[in-house]
Amino acid sequence: MVDNPNPGAGLDLDRLSLSRRELLMGAGGVLLAGGLAACGGSGSSGSTGGGSAPAGTPKKGGNFRLGVTGGGAGDIVDGQSIVNKPDQARLIGSWETLLTYDEDYVLGTDGLAEEVDSSVPGQVDVRIRSGIEFHNGKTLTADDVIYSINRILDPKEGLFGAAGLGSVDPKNLKKMDANTVRVGLKQPDSTIPDQLGQYFNGIVPDGYERKNDLKWVGTGPYKIQSFSPGQQSVAVRNPNYWRPASEGPWFDQVTVTDFADAAAQVNALLGGQIDAITDLPFAQVDSAKSQGMEVLEGTGGGWLPICMAIDMDPFTDVRVRQAFRLMADRPALLEQALSGHGRVANDIFAPFDPCYSSDLPQREQDIDQAKSLLKAAGKEGMTVDLHTTNGAAGMVDSANVFAAQCKAAGVTVNVKNDPNYYGDQYLKLAFSVDFWGTRAFLPQVSLGSLPKPCPYNETHWPPKSGEGSDYVSLYQQALKETDPTKRCDIIHEMQKAEYDVGGYIIAFFNNLVDAHSPKVQGFKVSKATLNLDTFGHGFRTIWFA
Amino acid sequence: MAVTSDIAVTPEPEVITARRPAGALLRSSLRLWRTRIGVALVVLLVVVALFGPFFAPHGPTDFVGAPNTGPSDAARFGTDHIGQDVWSRFLWGGREVLGMAVAATAIGLILGGLIGLVAAYSRNILDDVLMRAMDVILAFPQIMLALVAIATVGPKTWLLVLTVGLTTMPRVARVARGAAQPIVERDFVAAAEALGVPRLRILVGEVMPNTLSPLLVEVNLRLTYSIGLIAGLAFLGFAPNPNGADWGFMIQENRLALVQQPWGVVLPVVAIALLTIGTGLVGDGIARAAVGIDRSRGGE
Amino acid sequence: MKLGGIAGFVVRRLLLGLLVLGLVSIVVFAATQALPGDPARSILGRTATPASLKALRDQLGLGGSVLSQYFSWIGGLLHGDAGNSLAAQEPVTDLLGDKVVNSAFLVFCSGIISIPISVAIGSYAALRRDRTFDVSTSIATLVFAALPEFVVGVSLVVIFATTVFTGFLPAITIISPGARPWNDMTAMILPTATLVLAVTPYVVRIMRASMIEVLESDYVEMARLKGLPERTVIVRHALPNALGPTFQVIAINLAYLAGGVIVVEYVFNYAGIGGALRDAVSTQDLPVVQALAMLIAAVYVVLNLLADVATIIVTPRLRTRL
Repeated sequence: MVDNPNPGAGLDLDRLSLSRRELLMGAGGVLLAGGLAACGGSGSSGSTGGGSAPAGTPKKGGNFRLGVTGGGAGDIVDGQSIVNKPDQARLIGSWETLLTYDEDYVLGTDGLAEEVDSSVPGQVDVRIRSGIEFHNGKTLTADDVIYSINRILDPKEGLFGAAGLGSVDPKNLKKMDANTVRVGLKQPDSTIPDQLGQYFNGIVPDGYERKNDLKWVGTGPYKIQSFSPGQQSVAVRNPNYWRPASEGPWFDQVTVTDFADAAAQVNALLGGQIDAITDLPFAQVDSAKSQGMEVLEGTGGGWLPICMAIDMDPFTDVRVRQAFRLMADRPALLEQALSGHGRVANDIFAPFDPCYSSDLPQREQDIDQAKSLLKAAGKEGMTVDLHTTNGAAGMVDSANVFAAQCKAAGVTVNVKNDPNYYGDQYLKLAFSVDFWGTRAFLPQVSLGSLPKPCPYNETHWPPKSGEGSDYVSLYQQALKETDPTKRCDIIHEMQKAEYDVGGYIIAFFNNLVDAHSPKVQGFKVSKATLNLDTFGHGFRTIWFA
Repeated sequence: MAVTSDIAVTPEPEVITARRPAGALLRSSLRLWRTRIGVALVVLLVVVALFGPFFAPHGPTDFVGAPNTGPSDAARFGTDHIGQDVWSRFLWGGREVLGMAVAATAIGLILGGLIGLVAAYSRNILDDVLMRAMDVILAFPQIMLALVAIATVGPKTWLLVLTVGLTTMPRVARVARGAAQPIVERDFVAAAEALGVPRLRILVGEVMPNTLSPLLVEVNLRLTYSIGLIAGLAFLGFAPNPNGADWGFMIQENRLALVQQPWGVVLPVVAIALLTIGTGLVGDGIARAAVGIDRSRGGE
Repeated sequence: MKLGGIAGFVVRRLLLGLLVLGLVSIVVFAATQALPGDPARSILGRTATPASLKALRDQLGLGGSVLSQYFSWIGGLLHGDAGNSLAAQEPVTDLLGDKVVNSAFLVFCSGIISIPISVAIGSYAALRRDRTFDVSTSIATLVFAALPEFVVGVSLVVIFATTVFTGFLPAITIISPGARPWNDMTAMILPTATLVLAVTPYVVRIMRASMIEVLESDYVEMARLKGLPERTVIVRHALPNALGPTFQVIAINLAYLAGGVIVVEYVFNYAGIGGALRDAVSTQDLPVVQALAMLIAAVYVVLNLLADVATIIVTPRLRTRL
């Protein structure tokens, strides 16, 4: 989704497509175990994106060249962090997580752990496979797992995983034996296994730092060989990779190139200088197809909310918030801002969460109702500034399209495109557009819908009184609740409050649209993960025909 | 005055030596075909820019269909990247580019002209100080100074106008100074000074009119570059209005769909090209006429 | 005496150049560092924490007065230390080293093609003044000069790389880290061609004007009046005096290219300073913006200086006036 230059230095949570689906608990189980998936099937066959080319037999060789936009001088390589989008591709090829998601978002033990047991409240036991080697030849042990978790939790590192693993007690990580770690929790938290499957919670060797000798050492299918921020990185096949040879990796080398401009990126693909790109601009989908490229489009769960701060004028009045939600023509916003590459949303987030309240009535544009609400609130014909920036593709367009839709209700929305949006004003604006990646409901709430220290609460949710005022206690109940049905009931209650009186206008969930040359085989269409089928599972399940 | 840095950097193509009233120069330049074509182009584009909005079938931000569709009954030249009418946006989009370019050029002309005249007339340390100050600004490519300003303030309309205007200023100042210098040294100026005519009156009444014709050429040239510069900045992604109808920004917005729906790019590109070609032809015509006048006078 | 005159001139110009650079540094500093508000906060934006803000403020040298900030910055520059990039957290000089080489090579390739072409066409047009060649060149150069660089670049890509002749030439220039742009000359063709097409018309017009000035000068007139053959007039009298303007033209050409690379590098994803500048502007990486602005300004000033000195040395009539 990000075809624009990096909007600001620093970490950008939302470039992550943190997709997941409610997993283990779904079956009522709390034990994730199982041997290595039987070799044959996994990942090495299946339909390719765009759907036409049948998968052939994988074969070794070649230099896979990937183009990614959204990078810059701030690019990093780190087994547990990214700054810009190309960093995702670098991380995913060289580091692996304890648990993994498959194409249907089912969490499973196809990662470094062969068993994760959270059946005892307040602790999670992790047992890793034996005999896995890091790129430097060192064997993976429980010490590395403990170091990795501690590094994620270290506030000085400022890593993404810290928020999600917040209930882990860093003083209570016990090595049970060479391959087993008992993770002690400060309070029961049903989302821990989920977090262990997030791609940025990679396992790094004991002593790893972003700038020391171990900086490029992971367990992944490719070893990073060179890296130049904002420009290019080269990784070579890991000869000692732990999976059977029949499961890849196949390429000799993977080259990730940064592009400042989406047009240059597409031109390079069309001209045969690179083999695949992330985030094909919607405008070019048809022309890329007509020029022989394959387009891979995954149903996504990212969203670009229009945010109304519920404690700031004019949105303190719930009628005004409701009026603005009724002014939005969601299908038109989807069609115009994203060329239709997504699905209409309903002002609540986390569509892949099994607890997502899909039975709430779809909100539709109702100009008359909006007008009468505004009249009742004494805000007829009001004027308001809507702040946005080129933070993600569609942010500026959404604002413009929405502003045009508001005209029908006699409301003037002045769009302010401010490159410094994420500077001083962010989170202090009454009316703004933001962007979020795919996330499950509870982790998303912890990032954007709770009082401090929740970092990115644009709408200043929840309200102090009335509907929604019990939101925080509901959230805490949900975290503790191990019964999936009961947890969903709590989540439904939270979503109902957001739907009724919340500050988000969520018009759509956007898709991830990528493209690759037909000679690349093995990509699968998946719902919402990272781009390009999680970069072909770290470039492991794709090959050249 | 031997070689100073004055000849470097600002390369003003045509050599202007005419010191004739601007009116006569304009009349004689209009005898040249290139000037007439240039004037016709400029007038055409200015008319489009000024009056286009009255003929636009839709508002600049009205949505008329799906994004990037080709020409249809609803949208004569198809739709743009978010489904707005390309033709309407084109008709609306000249005002901003032209307005910004004209405003920037005017700032450059007024400030630059003033500085050039004062520098030439002062003939002392002030001359040096002013012209060295101009050198400082000339030490940056125009686009780079604009980028430095954008880096700190962001792409605001006033900032773009001001930066383009201020970077145009030293280039105009040099031409103005160069044209005024020989005049200042003439006898009638000394005579007027001796008679006690106020210096300001000499400057405005005697010196300035004689610099008008070279400045006329310069203005055309600068306008051409200002238009290109503002469009170029928009192309790099630095345009002031997020959804403003603006020829420069239209190119940036729609170029991704160049192959699929070329009109969103072709219309503004053609408009900008014709406009800059037009101003260029006018400037060229005036310059040639000026040389012609000189030559014929030399032959008398 | 003459030599002394030239030496004196060179010294004067050198001092003037230094003065200009000093003033340029003040302009760059004022435009970037002396911002209202808190640059550290606007840079860190969404991820600002009290600790990271303090660290960045220290790194930016925002502690002291504006004057001391300026002197610490300029002092660092003089020692070859342009500070750390805010985005990359690495020394700016490390970050830009290869990119300077890459851009210089692009400018070199474009210059080596466009300079002879523009000098030749411009001079010939001046000699054939108002004839068909001159008129058609002047129209053609006008039209080409009116086309923005990105229009030329995008059109070339569509024609030679992606759509009309697919894959005939590389659409973009990929320079691997550690590699040099001359390792893959085919990838240089389109960016170079774009710059040549952008700069040549402009320089042709200057060259023509300079040549006309020389041809109309008193001494050429004099030589003609003496009845010397036209060939002798041009070779003996016009050309030596036209060489000076030629140096100016070369300087202008290169200086123009230094600005033109910004857009062209963006179009071709060329790993050079132009692309780095655009990137730094959009991420507000001020140390990089400052360093690049100073670098490009220095190139400008040095080119002008060289051109002026060269002009004075080769132009007989100017030498005598010193």
